[in-house]
Amino acid sequence: MINNLIVENVSKRFIVGSRSEKSVLSKLHFFIFRREKKRYFWVLKNISFSVKPGEMIGIIGKNGSGKSTLIRTIAGIYSQDKGTIKVNGNIACLAGHNNGFKNRLTMKDNIHLVCSLYGLNPKDIGRYFTSIVEFSELRGYENTKLYKFSTGMMTRLSFSIMLHSIKKINPKVLLLDEVFSAGDLQFKLKCLDIIKQLLKKNVSILIVSHHLKTISYHCSRAILMDKGEIIKNDKTKKVLDWYLKKEKLTIDGKRIKK
Amino acid sequence: MAISDFKLRNEGTYLGFIWYLLNPILLFIILLLIFQDRLGSGIESYGLYLLMGIIMFNFFQKTSLASTKSILNNASIIKSIKFQRKSIIISVVIQNILEHIFEIIIFTFVMVLYNQSPLGMIFYPLIFIVFIVFTYGVSLILASLTMYFHDIHNMWNFLLKLLWFATPIFYGFGGQTKLLIFNLINPLYYFIKLSRDIVIYNTMPPPHTIFITIGLALISLLIGIVVYDKLEKRFAEML
Repeated sequence: MINNLIVENVSKRFIVGSRSEKSVLSKLHFFIFRREKKRYFWVLKNISFSVKPGEMIGIIGKNGSGKSTLIRTIAGIYSQDKGTIKVNGNIACLAGHNNGFKNRLTMKDNIHLVCSLYGLNPKDIGRYFTSIVEFSELRGYENTKLYKFSTGMMTRLSFSIMLHSIKKINPKVLLLDEVFSAGDLQFKLKCLDIIKQLLKKNVSILIVSHHLKTISYHCSRAILMDKGEIIKNDKTKKVLDWYLKKEKLTIDGKRIKK
Repeated sequence: MAISDFKLRNEGTYLGFIWYLLNPILLFIILLLIFQDRLGSGIESYGLYLLMGIIMFNFFQKTSLASTKSILNNASIIKSIKFQRKSIIISVVIQNILEHIFEIIIFTFVMVLYNQSPLGMIFYPLIFIVFIVFTYGVSLILASLTMYFHDIHNMWNFLLKLLWFATPIFYGFGGQTKLLIFNLINPLYYFIKLSRDIVIYNTMPPPHTIFITIGLALISLLIGIVVYDKLEKRFAEML
């Protein structure tokens, strides 16, 4: 079977630590006096893995281990410095809960804006509009400006928009970054149902989460990252057991007492 | 992607076009009252001469200045969705074109007030299209550079002020050679002069002016695209 996504030796660096970052004058000063050297920070180091169709992979790791950067690099928002990323088809990405919304616009306008950025034409947006509102359980707030929304409402809205745009984009790979952190349980279950349907249609899903239980229930494989490197890439159970043992934690987030 | 531009533009529409129009109109009235009998005394139909300069400069100023901030303002979108980021700048340009259309309508009215036939306006869209291309190129350059140098916005604001006084908008040359020489390297001068010649004075400008404007537009577009393509890769991480 052909892999849906192949990531080969991808490395990514950020430039950090120079004070002379953002203005012409300070750059000029830096250029003349050159007191500091540019420091690079490799966020991703030689990441390689591949994803089969219909596979759901959980990416876990501590803060700053490069999970989100990896997702953004695969999505093409960041460009990698080394290595190649091959995708067999389209790619859809949902990162965080503030998914490109404009706080000063109404929900209706935001739906139109984000949908068109996903590449939907006005006709499609009109067709999906009620269904998007319905799914996010935000009926009656169409003309409310978004800064009055709670985080949970935003999460529901962005997830709903993405699920509906997927129908048009037909992605082979779906990237989810911390999407369940603010939604309630009922909504989460509703989304997981749809995710399962997608998996049956041979879509591959990569999910970043700190919620280990979700990953252990739904993902067939897990990738553990630390300091920009893949530490483990194996069956979910094996990876989780190894990780929990190393960190001396239980899956419920409690410390193992000796 | 063109549709998204329209959606992005939505942001501004709530303020209403009236506010956008007020600024150039008030400026026009004040300058007209002050200079009509002095700086403008030697210039034929000074009111139109002045207004044409103001609205064209206004378009260039607003578009280029807004584009410097445009990418920073849309940071959250850029960080979460992959799309043609150029469309942000295009949307700035489109928004300003729409505002400019209102200014053109006012200009046509003023033409009638001055007892001039507004027929010359037929040619204006042609010049304006070239002018849009030029402005778009400049905006691309500024927008991409702003990602690396955050104070471009302030510097450009200052440069525009200088340009406002250096370009013959509310005065004519009247034999000042130094100023004329400076304006030979001022791109805006050619665009404004060309539209004044054709629209207001109904004279055929020397052909080299036309070629220079088209050339300037193409050069700016080319540099804009090259600079943008080179710098665009790192936009997301600079935000």
